[in-house]
Amino acid sequence: MAFLTLDNITKQFGRVAAVDDVSLAINKGEFLTLLGPSGCGKTTILRMIAGFEMPTHGNILLDGEDITDRPANKRPMGMVFQSYALFPHMTVEQNIAFGMNIQRKSKEVIQQRCAELLELVGLSDKGRSYPHQLSGGQQQRIALARALAVEPKVLLLDEPLSALDVKVRITLRNEIRRIQQQLKMTAIYVTHDQEEALSLSDRIAVMAKGKVEQLDHPEKIYSQPLTAFAATFVGNSNQFRGVLESAAEGLCRVDTQAFQVLPQPQLQNGTSVLIVVRPEDVVVKSDALSTDTSDADNTLTGTVDLRTFLGPFTRLQVRMRKDSGDTLVTADIPNQQARSYELGQAITLSFAPEACKVLPLDAIDAELMHLTVAEAV
Amino acid sequence: MHKTLNSRSSQPFRVEVDKVMLTLAALYLLIPLGATLVFSLSNGSGFNTISYTQVLSDADFTKTLLLSLLLACLSTLLTVVLITPTIYWLQLRLPQARPLLEFLSLLPFAVPPIVLSLGYVEVFGDAHPFIDALSFGLVPLLSNPPFNIVNTPQLLVLAYVIVALPFSYRPIDNSLRALNTRVLAEAASSLGSGWWRTFLSVILPNIWPGVIIAALLTFTTAVGEFTIAVLSGVYTFPIYLDVTGQNDAHKAAALTILSFIITLVCVLAIILLVPRRRDKTDTTIEVATGR
Repeated sequence: MAFLTLDNITKQFGRVAAVDDVSLAINKGEFLTLLGPSGCGKTTILRMIAGFEMPTHGNILLDGEDITDRPANKRPMGMVFQSYALFPHMTVEQNIAFGMNIQRKSKEVIQQRCAELLELVGLSDKGRSYPHQLSGGQQQRIALARALAVEPKVLLLDEPLSALDVKVRITLRNEIRRIQQQLKMTAIYVTHDQEEALSLSDRIAVMAKGKVEQLDHPEKIYSQPLTAFAATFVGNSNQFRGVLESAAEGLCRVDTQAFQVLPQPQLQNGTSVLIVVRPEDVVVKSDALSTDTSDADNTLTGTVDLRTFLGPFTRLQVRMRKDSGDTLVTADIPNQQARSYELGQAITLSFAPEACKVLPLDAIDAELMHLTVAEAV
Repeated sequence: MHKTLNSRSSQPFRVEVDKVMLTLAALYLLIPLGATLVFSLSNGSGFNTISYTQVLSDADFTKTLLLSLLLACLSTLLTVVLITPTIYWLQLRLPQARPLLEFLSLLPFAVPPIVLSLGYVEVFGDAHPFIDALSFGLVPLLSNPPFNIVNTPQLLVLAYVIVALPFSYRPIDNSLRALNTRVLAEAASSLGSGWWRTFLSVILPNIWPGVIIAALLTFTTAVGEFTIAVLSGVYTFPIYLDVTGQNDAHKAAALTILSFIITLVCVLAIILLVPRRRDKTDTTIEVATGR
């Protein structure tokens, strides 16, 4: 049985449903991430679990007990906020001790626990400091220690790394995961950063417009997205809109070009589809070849538009000129290979049928995909 | 390089301008006070302290002064106790009501004290079924024995809280807005803290500067209030000052100086006695008065 259950939760703000009939089951000791663009309802779900918002419909059960109507200060939750929310007039130790004082723990226990938690977050020497004397990363570590001090059953983290710079973010992200695993703490993490979600989580719930689009392990979310939104929001991808001509043969048509994909027995012929190809699955075949676009060999010819060195690999952005408008395709290739391509050079790209994820594209999906574009901007 | 030289050479000039402005402002405030002091000490035939001796030996002086100080203290206390949690509660639970509260807080500026006084007399004087209903029975309760407050110092305390509202609301509201109030309250709540504990141990220590400013302004407003007191027939210090001034201008000047010193001592006492936050880095009064 799940440790924390959200049972058909809906939250209406006026006429808008911020969260629309969401059900989730979180296991004990699990790290679940709610991932989605701004306004998708992820923070509202977290706030309902914390008790800061009341659901319009549905129930929240913790360890089999209904806590839907329980006030926030009576719930065994620890919360870490984006803005740290440390009490500015208290020292670090006083901040950590705040919750334990309310629990009427003895002075000795509080002191010992403070020392343990400060060691856990690697800030043993900062107990007497005030929050304003600490860096952003240090403040968030203290906020984490403070949330853990009350020994919560569930740790809630609301975009805790958003206000930090990239390097600190990566270090602290690993710290959070280490501490969560060390304490076997059930944790719910809210973020719009897919990299954070993929690296931290046991499972990810990809959300859009108040609904859960896909709930699965990070690897599956990345490699086997179930919806067009999940495919485009998580990870970088090349997207081609087309029509499935033959589901049995795995033949799609994008504009005038035929794409060979795997057979799609679950789809009907003539379905509008989105073909998603990850940049790392795109290979540069050679210099431009004259390709006959009637053959479904998944080759594309274009010119190098942008070359970006990204450390372990180089990302090429290739412009395909078409009458209906230009298309940009990205390919992640080894740095050594990338050195031989100059800007403006004509090249041919290709990808295997297995690399193509074919997802049905209805009007709602198309609308949701706009969200991912807006988020990227 | 040129820029550096220019900025260096312009700096002393700016300092000089600052000093001149400060001196002018100080003179503007101190000259009337100095003139009053000189006038209170001169008695036609040279300088002496006769006016002060006469004033201090007058029984009405002590009586009215103590009453005014008591009224001011009670008004200040009531303002702090009533207004601070109310504004905090509104910010958290009913932020959309803020414009209404801002409007209400400015009303005492728009309504002259004499109108306010007459309003009090009207509301608490005769029985009005409509007002009785609107006040949930509070007005008839307070206008009749044994809880009658009409024309008593108690009514003045309530009136002074209202009169000082424009001065007390804004510093507290600005302090709360400068603080990340909602998130701090939620953080405290997630750690198991109830509403009052959060208010007293998390919010209040962080808005002390604003509360102190509100207290000071309420205190000084209440000590010097004349119109409502005179129309309520309560003999307070400003009325004593007025009556004395009509008979003897020198005594009035001495009284003015004495009341200035007493108010100054009270204000300094509030500033010094009220505990302040321990870290000194944050802006205090600037944030509290809130631009």
